[in-house]
Amino acid sequence: MNFSETWREYFKEVGAISQFTLRFFQQSFKPRNEWGEFIRQCYIIGYQSLPLIGLTGFIMGLVLTMQLRPSLIEYGVESQLPAMVGIAIVREIGPVITALIFAGKIGSSIGAELGSMRVTEQIDAMEVSGTNPFKYLVVTRVLAAMVMLPILILLSDAISLYGSFIGVNIRGFTSFSLFWNLVFDRLEFGDVLPAFIKSFFFGFAVGIIGCYKGYFSSKGTEGVGRSANTAVVVGSIVVFFIDLIAVQITDILGLN
Amino acid sequence: MLDASPDIAPVVKKNNRISVITIEHLKKSFGTNIVLTDFNLNLFQGENVVVLGRSGSGKSVLIKCIIGLLDPDQGQITVLGKSILDLNDDELDQVRVKVGFLFQSNALYDSMTVRQNLEFPLRRHWMKVSQQEVDNMVMEALENVGLEYTVDMMPIELSGGMRKRIALARTLILKPEIILYDEPTTGLDAITSKEISELMVKLQRKYNTSSLIISHDMKCVQLTADRVVVLIDGKCWAEGSFEVLRHSEDKMIRQFFD
Amino acid sequence: MAKKVVNHIKLGVFVSAGLCFLILLLYMIGKNENLFGSTFLLKARFEDVHGLVPGNSVRFSGIDAGTVKAITILDDGSLEVTMLIRKKMKRYIRKNAQANLGTDGLMGNKLINISPVKFAAQVVNEGDVIASGKSIDTETMMAVLDKTNQDVATIASGLKTTVQRINSSAAFWAILNDKTLPYNLRRSLNNARRTTDGTNNLVKELQLLITDVKSGKGSLGRLLRDSSFTIKLEEAVEKIKNIGNQADTLSGHINALVVSIDKDVNSGKGTANALLKDEGLVLKMNSSLNNIEKGTASFNQIMDALKQNFLLKGYFKKLERKKSSQLPSTSYKSD
Repeated sequence: MNFSETWREYFKEVGAISQFTLRFFQQSFKPRNEWGEFIRQCYIIGYQSLPLIGLTGFIMGLVLTMQLRPSLIEYGVESQLPAMVGIAIVREIGPVITALIFAGKIGSSIGAELGSMRVTEQIDAMEVSGTNPFKYLVVTRVLAAMVMLPILILLSDAISLYGSFIGVNIRGFTSFSLFWNLVFDRLEFGDVLPAFIKSFFFGFAVGIIGCYKGYFSSKGTEGVGRSANTAVVVGSIVVFFIDLIAVQITDILGLN
Repeated sequence: MLDASPDIAPVVKKNNRISVITIEHLKKSFGTNIVLTDFNLNLFQGENVVVLGRSGSGKSVLIKCIIGLLDPDQGQITVLGKSILDLNDDELDQVRVKVGFLFQSNALYDSMTVRQNLEFPLRRHWMKVSQQEVDNMVMEALENVGLEYTVDMMPIELSGGMRKRIALARTLILKPEIILYDEPTTGLDAITSKEISELMVKLQRKYNTSSLIISHDMKCVQLTADRVVVLIDGKCWAEGSFEVLRHSEDKMIRQFFD
Repeated sequence: MAKKVVNHIKLGVFVSAGLCFLILLLYMIGKNENLFGSTFLLKARFEDVHGLVPGNSVRFSGIDAGTVKAITILDDGSLEVTMLIRKKMKRYIRKNAQANLGTDGLMGNKLINISPVKFAAQVVNEGDVIASGKSIDTETMMAVLDKTNQDVATIASGLKTTVQRINSSAAFWAILNDKTLPYNLRRSLNNARRTTDGTNNLVKELQLLITDVKSGKGSLGRLLRDSSFTIKLEEAVEKIKNIGNQADTLSGHINALVVSIDKDVNSGKGTANALLKDEGLVLKMNSSLNNIEKGTASFNQIMDALKQNFLLKGYFKKLERKKSSQLPSTSYKSD
């Protein structure tokens, strides 16, 4: 594949995803919402991801704390360790790492599920039985991902901070209330709100890309595998791009 | 039923029989690969028509065009008096309720039990029906295929033949006027294949449906077909009863029987 | 069906937990930024806020009392800092309290510290402008330190040359041989110290005066309520005090120096004494003294010789006669 053709493929893909996104918005405002399926997807996407997200969040907080400690001791600001870890987790690491793991777990599962449904004609079957598969499969999943990821990120933040608290206490002693005060003294709305808002976009991106890849999966089991794989890869990249845009916007708005 | 709707197109009649599906000059191509060049077909009420063709000859494309899953490049498709290509989504749904579709891969929803699979088509069109009635309909559909005991099983637990029968039950649950079968016996052993074919005929008699069957399984064709249309090179190559075609001298037709 | 209910409960718990943490997070931050709970406004004016921003904390005697709400530039170029203070703190902050700019630690965030002044005053009201102190930021601190360093260096080099000169001056050591000199020096040092003490007392009195003025005692006090003037006056006093202190230390140093020299001279130790013990010098001095002696002796001889000279014999005789005649006349008178 030569250079110009790579670009052509790229723009074709961007165009297709954009059209898919547009279709998502058109369909989500149409009547007959699939509430039952939405709740079911929330349960699968949100609740059932919690153990994984919680575990990674806990380890992340613990490791980050232990890694930062020597540097902070070098500068003589060891007492600022909770504040620093708190800001790092709430502002950036919590949302992005959680979104990446979410992309890995949910993006691939949506990609594979819709891909296999496409391949085994289940999506066609839905269409001929009078159920709008786009609304039933795509809209519910994207909305569920969009609503559940921020909640997962919040819980992951909380668990990370707890991990950090344990990390602080592995060497040295800090009471929970002191840790708590140190973290929250330094946190501002400008730290929490942009992170919270961007997490909706992360969830949306992971959901829509997983659905797009699955919905237009090519025939055969190989196509399903490729759908799952590209859903994770593209989803992760888009998460980083959204993060990049988000930091510019918060910078312009002076929320830093 | 048809007479009740004043807005429908004139019912196509031929030899005093009502044509439920009329296909005229259908053309469909994927890129440079031309699948259907100029296909014409009439399906009359209460008739079983088999479209016979080799793999990749565009049989599946044909019935997907009929149900509106694919848009043809050219041509006219009329189902139950309505031009499929001119309908909006809601109107298309109205037609689809009356047309059952049995997919080649069964297309049972993996994440749902058999009961949920059978209930799924009902959730749109039978909203006002009580849970009791839905249960009755599910059980009736399962009785038709003889698999009442699988009602709470997952599709993955069932054998290929059972899945095909469940899929058939699901197709029939809305009591369609027309059923489109996409290679109903593909991937099944000879005995199961025969069972499925007989079941198709039995149910067709019971509910007085019209069927369009896509197949290249001659046993199935023999059992089910009132009329056979041979699809070669994207066109209707030959047409006739199974017995007539079996004795045809045409080289292209002969290869199906040899 | 039962399975579905469990799903809903778990999902509900999950969502509620997430939202609870969000609310907690926002509430904790809001509490720190005083967005919830009752607060009141206080204002203070500064010439320079050194990078203070809204949201920085305000402390009262070191206790967290609120946050900076806004910083506005007034028409006259000074900056007005509006502070959001917790209502609970209101009854402790009095109208004469002083707001100072500070830093949390050496490198920390900027903050405002409100310090109480001991003298009684009314409790502040909503929107009051309280007095502000001139801030000492690290930069000015460093600038002052730099200047002090330079001064010290100059003094040190001056002292060095002085000491060198003293060491190389023979005459000085000769003077030092005079045992009365250390005594005299010490006396003058004592005088200097007394003067310093006097200055100190003066400073103390001035300070008292300022305190009085600040606390508003007397009509002058009211006149001088302008805090900036008070601060300038205070600074002046501080400078005088510093000078006094410096003089004090300097005289102390010199005193110590003199004492050590004195000790050296007496005990016969140290460089000063070694110089003094230089035999060559003593010999030279002796020889010059001898020379003088010799000169005097030869002068006497010349004079004797002249007396014997015949040409001048008459003159000398006349001189002698005059002498002798004068003596009886005086004796006459005494008779």
